Amino acid sequence: MATVVSGLTLGSLYAAMAVGLTIVYGVSHVFNFAHGHVAVLGAYVAWLVLGTGLGFGAGIVAGSAAAVAVMVVFGWGLYRLAIRRLLTRDGWQFATLLFTLGLAILMQYLLLQAFGPRVKSIPTFTDGSVLLWFGRVGIHQLIVLLLSVALIAAVGLFLQRTATGQAMRAVSLSVPGARIVGINVERIFAYTFAFAFAVTGLSGILLGSTVFMTPHIGWEWMIKGFIIITFGGLGRIQGAVVAAFFLGLVEAFVTLYAGSLWIWPAWLSLFVIALMVRPQGIMAGRAA
Amino acid sequence: MSAAARARSLLTPKTVGWTVVVALAAAFPYLGASRFALHLGMLVFIWAVVASYWNLLNGYAGILSLGNLGFFAMGAYLSAVMAIELDISPFITTVLAGIVAAVIVTVLLGLPVLRLRGIYIALLTLVFADALPSIISLTRQWTGGGVGLLGIPTFLPGLERWQGYYFALLFCVMAHVVLARIIHGRTGLAFVALRDSEDFAVAIGVDRFREGVKVFAISSFFTAMAGAVFAHTLGQLSPGMLAIDQFVMVISMWLLGGAGTLAGPVVGAALVTVGNEYLRVYGSLRLGVLGAAILLVVLFFPGGIVQLAGTVTAWFRRDSGGSASLQPPVTTGGPTAARGGDAAARART
Amino acid sequence: MLEVTELRGGYGDLVVLHDLSLSVGKGEIVALLGPNGHGKSTLLKAISGVHPATGGSILLDGEQLRGLPAHEIVERGIAYISEERDLFTEMTVFENLVLGAYGPRGRPHLDRNLQRAYELFPRLADRRSQRCATLSGGEARMVAIARGLMSGAEVLLVDEPSIGLSPALKRTVYEAIRHINDDLGITVLLVEQELEYALDLAARVYVLKHGRVLFERSAAEIESTEVREAYF
Repeated sequence: MATVVSGLTLGSLYAAMAVGLTIVYGVSHVFNFAHGHVAVLGAYVAWLVLGTGLGFGAGIVAGSAAAVAVMVVFGWGLYRLAIRRLLTRDGWQFATLLFTLGLAILMQYLLLQAFGPRVKSIPTFTDGSVLLWFGRVGIHQLIVLLLSVALIAAVGLFLQRTATGQAMRAVSLSVPGARIVGINVERIFAYTFAFAFAVTGLSGILLGSTVFMTPHIGWEWMIKGFIIITFGGLGRIQGAVVAAFFLGLVEAFVTLYAGSLWIWPAWLSLFVIALMVRPQGIMAGRAA
Repeated sequence: MSAAARARSLLTPKTVGWTVVVALAAAFPYLGASRFALHLGMLVFIWAVVASYWNLLNGYAGILSLGNLGFFAMGAYLSAVMAIELDISPFITTVLAGIVAAVIVTVLLGLPVLRLRGIYIALLTLVFADALPSIISLTRQWTGGGVGLLGIPTFLPGLERWQGYYFALLFCVMAHVVLARIIHGRTGLAFVALRDSEDFAVAIGVDRFREGVKVFAISSFFTAMAGAVFAHTLGQLSPGMLAIDQFVMVISMWLLGGAGTLAGPVVGAALVTVGNEYLRVYGSLRLGVLGAAILLVVLFFPGGIVQLAGTVTAWFRRDSGGSASLQPPVTTGGPTAARGGDAAARART
Repeated sequence: MLEVTELRGGYGDLVVLHDLSLSVGKGEIVALLGPNGHGKSTLLKAISGVHPATGGSILLDGEQLRGLPAHEIVERGIAYISEERDLFTEMTVFENLVLGAYGPRGRPHLDRNLQRAYELFPRLADRRSQRCATLSGGEARMVAIARGLMSGAEVLLVDEPSIGLSPALKRTVYEAIRHINDDLGITVLLVEQELEYALDLAARVYVLKHGRVLFERSAAEIESTEVREAYF
């Protein structure tokens, strides 16, 4: 049962991390190879703020706010300065893939220069644990689970209830349709990058507090995120969330029964199976 | 074609240029090159093959593979292990490794992946290359695992540096002659047709899937052989060759050199391999430089150095001769208004 | 009201509109006739900014529209209803209509326009929480027209509103367009293949061929033979 809880926690973290990837892909059809590095950058920003001696409570709030601010500027700027130019090209898909690949490499280098290769982590919220009916569970784990779920719920509400969120969904469903009803598609792309990067940065903080971060772990997060959204159907948020919980549980049980060496083989074989069975996504049903 | 016409067609500025380059490369050891320079030259030749065949997939066929370094490592290890365990001549194992790797890659990756969207191809091939170090660890009784594999038989017992240099040069020239034939032959034309107008290409009987499988097989075959040549000239291997640094280096070779051109990857291989040696003292800065270079090239010079050079010479000469040999930059087709509807609709189905 | 002068446009090297000029008066219904591939749809796309023209001018009440992005043109009061409909298929009818009022022009009048849309097509009121992917062809057409009206447009550009519909549904759609024009006072520029519907609805007709206006007639004067000739 404790394994189920840690599986759910992992799943919620992965879901929060993958949501940003799937939003950007769903709306702009840009696959962001630097997605994992964006999450890592968010975690490092919070880590920096936490290191200023604000104390944990104020530090984590200020750190999250700083991460969001940095990410909004980063996402928006990236779109305005680069992605926008690339999207007008004939080979835009190729160009954006290579561009974000280069970005990932550059970010990894810059993170390495700024923070060094040593493993770092965001301090846990609390070291305490509670006794539930099935055994002891770390309070930190529960808080992370709650926060991740809250983050995903907030994203869902934003997309369903706000005009900008609805416009993002509209663009993801039909770019010509969006143009016709008077949506400024370019601006929505820019908002999408800013919004998704902010969410991703926050998810990176949560990940950094539960696992750890290094300048190169972005690759792993990106590939996990990709596998999740493949399972869920590219661009579909609900599918991605379900897939993330499923894969989180798988990871927890694999770790328990087979050891952490088998985590990657498990992810990869599920991925290959998923592609063989249904390349359009296992959970692909209704769109987000 | 008459003999005279054939001779004339061989005497184009391009073929003359290539011949001069090869002749210079062949004369290099006699021009007082140091052992280290020969070593570098050898690496340039091997990486030029890898970069050129990577470019065949990406720059010409528009198939974004990120796994070519995996093909390379596969060929290197297969050939090395066969040579050690089965005591077969490295010349034979090199070809065998190329064939085995091509079959494995085509069946395992090419066939399933080419039916999928571009993004899946990119990530599945990346994941494939990513999984290889674990496979090398799991088979450590043959491959030596993370420690690496030493004492691989070389092409000749006690292979001298200059001999390795010539083996690599010979392999490089052969590989590029074949590549040029592919690009100017049916398969190359098929991809140009697909790139310019998919409808028309399909109408004249071009099958994207079949041509894709073909270039996947050819690309993995030569890339794996390059790996084998690497193994049998250096005599040692380590899974470090699959590290991100190496991946970035080879990608930047064809990308910076000029994707979709024949000369680009060769120029890029020389530049990146030599540049890497000079920047070695700066450690991880190399990674940052290459990352930034990729960003800038994709954004501002999608045709790479070769196109840039073409533009510059054309500027000076003010005639079309300078740029006549240039291929268009990387394109995967689709109308300019692609993002508006067509591509989005296509990508979504 | 809408004044198109010497408009040029096309797709890449393919020029579709050759210095095309026409005008639509306030409150009019004008129909565009002519063979397929001779610029009717391209003209509507050019006016709406969805596929911008390369030359010429488009004036709305004397104000230049050419060069403005599509969303600005919606703001000026022109709604374009494409032949492909371009609905957000995974959203409900209601969500589609709300998005029709996305811009500042439509948003303040959302409730009023929503009610107006449901009055125009009562069937949409029943289907309001249904996903558009599950609608019939006729219902989808209704959503497209209703969504176009949600922006508070004064000019409606409609591309083949009845194509592929049953005769009964065609009539429904045409009655709705007449109502939009008569009772709501909205100007309509319409592409129509079927002559009888076009003449029934429109006061004036332009026949387009090779990206130019072949001739212009009032619906009362036009001879069906001369239109038929244009198709050959």
